[in-house]
Amino acid sequence: MSERTETQAVLEYEVKDGVAWLRLNRPEKRNAVNAELRAALAEAVRRAERDSQARVVVLIGSGEAFCAGADVVEFQEGASAAERIRGEYESILLGLHEMPKPTIAALNGVAAGIGMSMALCCDLRYAISSAYLREAFVHIGLTVDGGASWLLPRLIGAGKALELMYTGDDLPAEEAERLGLINRILPADHLESYVADLAARLATGPTQALAAMKRSVNHAASTTLEEAIDFEFLLQGVMMESDQFRQRVRAFVERRR
Amino acid sequence: MDYENLLVEREGAVAVITLNRPKVLNALSPALIAELTQALDAFDSDPLVGAAVLTGGPKVFAAGADIADMADRTPVEQVQRDQTGRWSKVTSFGKPLIAAVNGYALGGGCELALMCDLIIAGDSARFGQPEINLGIVPGAGGTQRWPRTAGKYVAMEVNLGGQPIKAQRAYQLGLVNRVVPAEVTIRVAVQLAQQLAAKAPLAARLAKEAVNQSLELPLKEGLAAERKNFYFLFATEDQKEGMHAFLEKRQAEFKGR
Repeated sequence: MSERTETQAVLEYEVKDGVAWLRLNRPEKRNAVNAELRAALAEAVRRAERDSQARVVVLIGSGEAFCAGADVVEFQEGASAAERIRGEYESILLGLHEMPKPTIAALNGVAAGIGMSMALCCDLRYAISSAYLREAFVHIGLTVDGGASWLLPRLIGAGKALELMYTGDDLPAEEAERLGLINRILPADHLESYVADLAARLATGPTQALAAMKRSVNHAASTTLEEAIDFEFLLQGVMMESDQFRQRVRAFVERRR
Repeated sequence: MDYENLLVEREGAVAVITLNRPKVLNALSPALIAELTQALDAFDSDPLVGAAVLTGGPKVFAAGADIADMADRTPVEQVQRDQTGRWSKVTSFGKPLIAAVNGYALGGGCELALMCDLIIAGDSARFGQPEINLGIVPGAGGTQRWPRTAGKYVAMEVNLGGQPIKAQRAYQLGLVNRVVPAEVTIRVAVQLAQQLAAKAPLAARLAKEAVNQSLELPLKEGLAAERKNFYFLFATEDQKEGMHAFLEKRQAEFKGR
């Protein structure tokens, strides 16, 4: 099993059991995203996508928070700052959303603003019971970013999404689970081990098939049912020619005998 | 026939032409265009070929013309070489020509795709006219075929902005017939070509000609031309065969007579 750990000042990148762990590491700032962390995240997401040892990607925070949002200090620079940071955010958000491997957000605490958006961009979300999400933008007189306007209504419906945006109120993990936003709530001391087990299991899954499922779901977001069926059918055709598929079908048939 | 810049294969009644300069992302040199014209001429007069697929392979369609070759040319040299004028022969191919586009179709590559009759795009496809970024304009139809396909405003965006558009947007704009997983783009295009190749050849030739004329003729003249084609085809054996096969509920066998 290949293991690599690399500690950067604000973000850890570690590959373990086929899983890349991206750990936001500014605990004293509740992992708020500043310029340094943003650049490190963009680089780490690109790296995780290319890393052949990483078949699953987990995003998690160190300390008490997942990510409290953007470092508001940067907002004071105004619109010029917004333009500058956009490219990096796109790399992070689209990277997580489109990379052909499962991405998991492990919410060890608050996920607010851009932190919430990063969690929404992942495929799966697990949280401890004291975690919460918050679209905090209204509190500073700003509209949402990070793809929240696209992601959140798709996960919980427009009414709930706008309620969260308008009020800026906390969405406790329990309610988020009920809404389908969080896949499962875990005791605080079990979050990492649960996510590690699940991620390791996905990492031994049929990589190509998992990637194709994600690709189909993403493609379907901007197509009709008819086009989605067409796309699925073609991807399945590609898969049926793979050795992975033939081996698994053979094993499946033999087990049933 | 041996080609240096192309791979040419036959799959039943379908000719598959692959641009084959992978080291330079299939840059469209005058030599390549000359070979392409030659290949299309040969297939046009080959009665065993009913349709053709033009592709750049699995990774890239064609990322434009040879910039290194053009950088220090004079206008007189460009006129003498008639670099882009020679491309128009691609449009005189009388049989259905399907572009199978994966990855970038940029500049001349995009114009080449637009010269085809149908476009099948892999989900990795990108279409664009980046000429403006080099201080020039498209020279093989980019400013003329985009507005006829996607309308003036999209044409302006593409030609003035120089940024490529993604496969799914190209599909929504009507530029692309179908978006498929990139792994099967060529196969899907060949299957479609085989369906088209099984139609009555003379009818296909006249239908293609008439649709292309519709972009240039006033409606009245276009309709008159269409009507003549319609009447004329009653002089063919294939019309008799097609209609009788329909009435007898059997598959028609067309002979191109």
